[in-house]
Amino acid sequence: MKTAAVLIAMVLLASTAIAQSTTSAPVNASTPARLSDGQPNMQGLYTRSGVKALEAEPPFNPIDPGDKNPLSVSNRGDGLGPYPRIFGEGGNVLRGQQPRAQRPTGIVFPANKKLPWRPEEDAKRRQFLLDMNPPKDLRHIELNSRCALPGLFEGEDGNNPYTILQPPGQVVIIYDYNHTSRVIDLNRREHPGKNIRLFMGDSLGHWEGNTLVVDTTNFNGRVAYSREIPYLSEDLHTVERFTVVENAIDYEVTIEDPKLFTGPWKVAGAFSKASKDVESLEFACAEGSQTLQNIFGTPPAR
Amino acid sequence: MKKSKGPIILAFAAGLMVCLAEIPATAQTAGARPATVSLPRAADGKPNLNGVWQVLNTAAWDIQDHTGQLGVPPGLGVVEGIEIPYQPAALAKKQENFANRLTADPTEARCFLPGVPRATYMPFPFEIVQTPNSMAIRYEFAHAVRMVPVNGSKHAEGIPPTWMGDSRGRWEGDTLVVDVTNFNDQTWFDHAGNFHSDALHVVERYTMTNPDHVLYEATIEDPKVFARPWKMTMPLYRRVDKNARLLEYECVFYLQEERYKNAPFK
Repeated sequence: MKTAAVLIAMVLLASTAIAQSTTSAPVNASTPARLSDGQPNMQGLYTRSGVKALEAEPPFNPIDPGDKNPLSVSNRGDGLGPYPRIFGEGGNVLRGQQPRAQRPTGIVFPANKKLPWRPEEDAKRRQFLLDMNPPKDLRHIELNSRCALPGLFEGEDGNNPYTILQPPGQVVIIYDYNHTSRVIDLNRREHPGKNIRLFMGDSLGHWEGNTLVVDTTNFNGRVAYSREIPYLSEDLHTVERFTVVENAIDYEVTIEDPKLFTGPWKVAGAFSKASKDVESLEFACAEGSQTLQNIFGTPPAR
Repeated sequence: MKKSKGPIILAFAAGLMVCLAEIPATAQTAGARPATVSLPRAADGKPNLNGVWQVLNTAAWDIQDHTGQLGVPPGLGVVEGIEIPYQPAALAKKQENFANRLTADPTEARCFLPGVPRATYMPFPFEIVQTPNSMAIRYEFAHAVRMVPVNGSKHAEGIPPTWMGDSRGRWEGDTLVVDVTNFNDQTWFDHAGNFHSDALHVVERYTMTNPDHVLYEATIEDPKVFARPWKMTMPLYRRVDKNARLLEYECVFYLQEERYKNAPFK
């Protein structure tokens, strides 16, 4: 008897605010409050939107939850598809502040939304997607269904909020999604050696006025951007720009991966301050997941 | 000239001691720690716990006294009073857990979140993120993380029990006190089968004793399992390596790679 995944992804609507007293005053776009170490203050709880890489000429996506492919494991009739709907809808409750309409989101470079894939790598990617449903092997299981750390701001973590804390010399982003957290070091200047490989990469940041610029390398090659871009290589290099504006952060990421692409591409989105008093909640992922058992059965005893 | 140096130095030293004694005293209210050490302080005057910390003990294997075995480093216990005051039925359960520990320990056998206080003494570093009203503790093992509001808020009510608990922090003088509730009954205190129920209540105390050491105390209360509250005590050491930072120990991912490497095998 196989059991559907039971995963907790919730947002608590509580009477107590997580908002810092120092952030309770409205943030003026031109002069956000400064913290003791001089950083513009962007602490608080946010939801994310718009960071979608919907590309021109997209691949056939056999793991789309709306998939109608009769051969798909998603449609095998027992409702247990390989990729259960595990992700919370809490972000929709919180999303009181939509990103400003005049600012483009999604792929903003190239303007035609055609990603600069190396043709042979695009072909490999399209075949890889076909091999994900039914999954050919462990490698072809969607990474966030394995409760892997999300790497980049895409996938389905957009429905769960983020807490930003700024102790001196750091910006720390804590995702509700899969209890992920990420430290952006403002004092260090060098990435570690090439043998250090991380799902979340190694992030170095600095402030340019009200914009936090973050350079990230040392990814492990097990990072997806989206359901259509199921992996990026170890050569992935991102430069993110978080610009503090009123009650929000304008976000832009430049993605370079010379193994897969002939040039950089950019995606824009936004983080909006939560519209209600909320607290983050535990999102235990692996503790409830039966995904691999559902797909492959129980592994033979050693 | 030579003769006069002694008293001058002594006088200077005495003055310095007065300064050292006075600086912490202005911020101190609890008086638990002698005001002889100058602690690093955050902008709000609280001891600055920001940084990477780790224990140097074997509590993750067994929080009580234990001799060495293959793969188990020996260690003196971290439990005050040595014995844990189990209720009789619970002691039998602990012994059963111990016998089955290789497959039944949720953290070692399945890579599940270690709970509190076990997350603290896993043999991996953790990082305290401190701001005036909100703190977080990030753990390298299984990328566990806890939010610790320090804003006077009360425990959340009406939410499902959790692996890492619901933490609320407050400062008592220079000690950070974290009250943790809303646990599930799925975590163990160590690999030796010491366990608790969903009635677990943990009170942690983080007292910085000098810039690189924190005295960590965890009082354990669980009326379904223990006859009375009991306590663990251990020092936390700052990772002073100049490049100290958390990396990733993605236990779940590694376990999947091992168990499912030959999939599909339906």
